[in-house]
Amino acid sequence: MLEVKGLTAGYAGSEVLHGIDLTVKDGEGVIVLGPNGHGKTTLLRAITGLLPPRSGSVLLDEREITRWRPDVIAAAGVVHIPQGDLLFPDMTVLENLVMGAYLRATWSERNQRLGRVYELFPWLKERGRQLARTLSGGERRMLALGRGLMSKAKILLIDEPSLGLAPLTTEQIYASIRRVKESGMAILLADENANHVAGLADRVYLLETGVLVREGPAEKMLQDKALLESYLG
Amino acid sequence: MTQTVQAVWGGILFGSVYGLMALGLTLVWGAVRLLNLAHGAIFVVGAYAAYWVTSSLHLPILVALPIGVLAAAAFAYAMHVGFIRPVLGKPGFDNATIIATVGISIAVSAAALLIFNPEYKVVPAVLSGYFIVAGVQITNQGLLVIGTSLALFALVYLYLTYTRHGMAIRAVSQQQQAASLMSIPVERTYGLVIAISGGLAGVAGVLLSPFFFLSPNSGFNPMIQALIVTIFGGLGSIRGALVAGFVLGIFESFVEVFYGVAWAQPGVFLLIILMLIVRPNGLFGIGEVRRL
Repeated sequence: MLEVKGLTAGYAGSEVLHGIDLTVKDGEGVIVLGPNGHGKTTLLRAITGLLPPRSGSVLLDEREITRWRPDVIAAAGVVHIPQGDLLFPDMTVLENLVMGAYLRATWSERNQRLGRVYELFPWLKERGRQLARTLSGGERRMLALGRGLMSKAKILLIDEPSLGLAPLTTEQIYASIRRVKESGMAILLADENANHVAGLADRVYLLETGVLVREGPAEKMLQDKALLESYLG
Repeated sequence: MTQTVQAVWGGILFGSVYGLMALGLTLVWGAVRLLNLAHGAIFVVGAYAAYWVTSSLHLPILVALPIGVLAAAAFAYAMHVGFIRPVLGKPGFDNATIIATVGISIAVSAAALLIFNPEYKVVPAVLSGYFIVAGVQITNQGLLVIGTSLALFALVYLYLTYTRHGMAIRAVSQQQQAASLMSIPVERTYGLVIAISGGLAGVAGVLLSPFFFLSPNSGFNPMIQALIVTIFGGLGSIRGALVAGFVLGIFESFVEVFYGVAWAQPGVFLLIILMLIVRPNGLFGIGEVRRL
């Protein structure tokens, strides 16, 4: 469904990604593992158009979406849960969620969609009127995930969901991502820690200094402690 | 007694117009981070369009009013497409847009001179008639201006709070990248805000002009007052624009009635300076944190 070919991207003067090839099939859970600063966030931002790639291509269901505007890529079904959550700080929890259903097609069914998100994160329902900027770190992460799920996503791109969270909250977040995946959603998740992704990962890529150095089925890759240790430290 | 009533009436009347002009400025600042110094020119475009419809087409002012508002909104949108959109997100956006909007203001007054002529124009009032309260003449047009301004504040508030496009405007103003990840077209949303802001200036232009004569520079003073109001109320704050509009209007009016016209403007600036010492981000603006 999602296919990345020879993608290079970077910031003024320095190239961060040097030719990435990656695929995610329907309903598949794909993890990109790599240490901090090796291009995981850049990869997701290049795919969703926040950072227009320099060369290479991105295809969604065999349709070229490279260099489309971020809002058009999102409308096509590639939904990015960004690093730092990027909530709307002076909007309420409910308003944040509803913005996830901005497109006309989802806006008309936003109440049913809210119901589905509340099943995953029941507390969101009681806290609907609270301003997003008053939430705790874990709550913010869940709201960002819930907001992304309000859209008609074909694939979710999730950027390091454990970043800055306590272990217990991290466990909760991954449990809910597993439930989303079990519902049939394709997921591309970037992480620097292999511990949480079991049960979520079908395939794993290892990213090092902007290059995907290894790829393989999750059960094999995640068992290979020596390999993981040498890459992730 | 008469003097006090006169000051209160004048203050509320002009305060409501300052507020209405400030509402447009603060919306555009809040969402686009654009200081629109062509806001007075847009006011003038609306007023001249209405003047043209009444004087050349001989249509009633009730027809000219919506046409003036649409002309102002369309002009503002064209300004966005021509001069704002091309520099969005580029380094030097602030300088480029300040120079561009000042340039547009100059161009508009020159164009008004060429197309019409330097003579003062009369834009008819929507409502005629008046009544006397404690010796002060309360015009029906004045009541209409106050009522319209309050209604537009309420309408803008409801629009931003409850509608899909209105909420998208707030989303874009608070977290632009996330808004685009929610499929919200950011540049189109900017265009929408600028057109709405232009329409509000157009309403002010058409409804306020009957109190004066219309000239190519008629928009300058309302814009300066609105700029002061937005700074006083806090840039980006709608509630601030409403409250500060009335506070400054009434304050100015009292100074004018009791100390003479010459003291009105210096008095307002003195008040602003004092307020900025106490609350540097304005009455309701909380610096960079406060968005629409």
